[in-house]
Amino acid sequence: MKLHYYPGCTLKEKTTALDVSTREAMRRLDIELVEPEGWTCCGAEYPLTEEKIVGLAAPVRVLRQVRDEGGDVVVTTCSFCYAVLKRANKAVREDPLKHKRVNAYLRDDIQINPLTKEKTTGFEDYNGEVKVLHLLEYLRDRVGPPRIREHLKRDLKGLAVAPYYGCRLLRPHKEMGVDEPDSPRIFEDFLETVGCAAVDYAFKQECCGSYVSVSLPAAATEASYRVLRSARMAGAKAIAVTCPLCFYNLDHRQEAIKETFLDFPGIPVVFFTQLLAWALGVDKELLGLKEHAVPADGLFDEGRGAEVRT
Amino acid sequence: MRVKLKAGPEQRKFIARIEDLSGENVYACYQCGRCSAGCPMASEMDLLPNQIIRLVQMGLEEDVLRSKTLFLCASCFTCQSRCPKGIDLARVMEAVRHILDPKGKDAFGPDEISPEQARELPQQVMVALFRKFAK
Repeated sequence: MKLHYYPGCTLKEKTTALDVSTREAMRRLDIELVEPEGWTCCGAEYPLTEEKIVGLAAPVRVLRQVRDEGGDVVVTTCSFCYAVLKRANKAVREDPLKHKRVNAYLRDDIQINPLTKEKTTGFEDYNGEVKVLHLLEYLRDRVGPPRIREHLKRDLKGLAVAPYYGCRLLRPHKEMGVDEPDSPRIFEDFLETVGCAAVDYAFKQECCGSYVSVSLPAAATEASYRVLRSARMAGAKAIAVTCPLCFYNLDHRQEAIKETFLDFPGIPVVFFTQLLAWALGVDKELLGLKEHAVPADGLFDEGRGAEVRT
Repeated sequence: MRVKLKAGPEQRKFIARIEDLSGENVYACYQCGRCSAGCPMASEMDLLPNQIIRLVQMGLEEDVLRSKTLFLCASCFTCQSRCPKGIDLARVMEAVRHILDPKGKDAFGPDEISPEQARELPQQVMVALFRKFAK
């Protein structure tokens, strides 16, 4: 079965672990991932003012390409891409003015025929035909937990994992609508399906500091520390994330966090797709574990005993 | 004693511009403070999120525009999800950033990232950061 998959910019270079583990996991579920031809960056941020229409052009172009290739669903794993594509899609579908203005930009895109080098223009309007789903949503609604369980090859023995939602996956609720913004279950249910024990903790949908980690590192260090500490105190052995930026803030910046908060011992951070791929029997070498700043190898160990929750 | 606050033409223009850009009704806010209570960046801010919206309501453009708060908001939408009046404060923040002097200095631009940092940072964070904090 073929499925359109939009990896986004970061997955192709800095965070290949998320891309590779997604591909390996989906292959085990007999789903072939197809990237829309010529995809570009989605813009990372959905434009929040009414006048920044041009910010919608990139995501809508990606969605139009998916439609023109015959896709009715596009799946993403990065929460930022997901938020931008989903909100842009909704804007084009529901706001006639945005629909008109974005399509006016995109109609004049030039397409070059690779064989004849002939240039053509005049694209058909995009009206929001494609459905944008996060991989967690796709696994819950289209694949379903029973089919995932059928394919499981390894027992994760109730590894205590704290799901971290972050900001973009759940909010704003009326546009994202994946799950309840204050009491979500989708990530917990996923973790339990693959054999982990989901740890409940207070900071699972708090912000990690996002891009402020570059402009004002101290503020983000504190925000990330609060998340990490909360998960550890609740008994988690690892934190699972969906977003490359959450991964960067929570994993790569742990060294800086430890320098500020001397009592913090550290905790591994993994992508949800790494846990899925591992449970589905993918080799450890294909999980991209070398990209982790905080070693996560110990979690992916066949000889690991059953967890005892304290 | 009653003190009547009345916005002059300049203030009214500013308020109308923010409302047009953000699509939010800033007068819906009754200052409950839930946005500031939930904000992960509040400890670093000179003006709290609820104070920003109060200053917008009063049309105090200069005070809003010189606040550090505009460049601490990570658009995490925690305030949006908690506002009992359904105001999306992240949109108000973006509208205020939008009307800053277009010829002014970037709050945080590409020049401030060293080549070493650029090699290490995920692409996503740079795109998002410049979209928010650079012109």
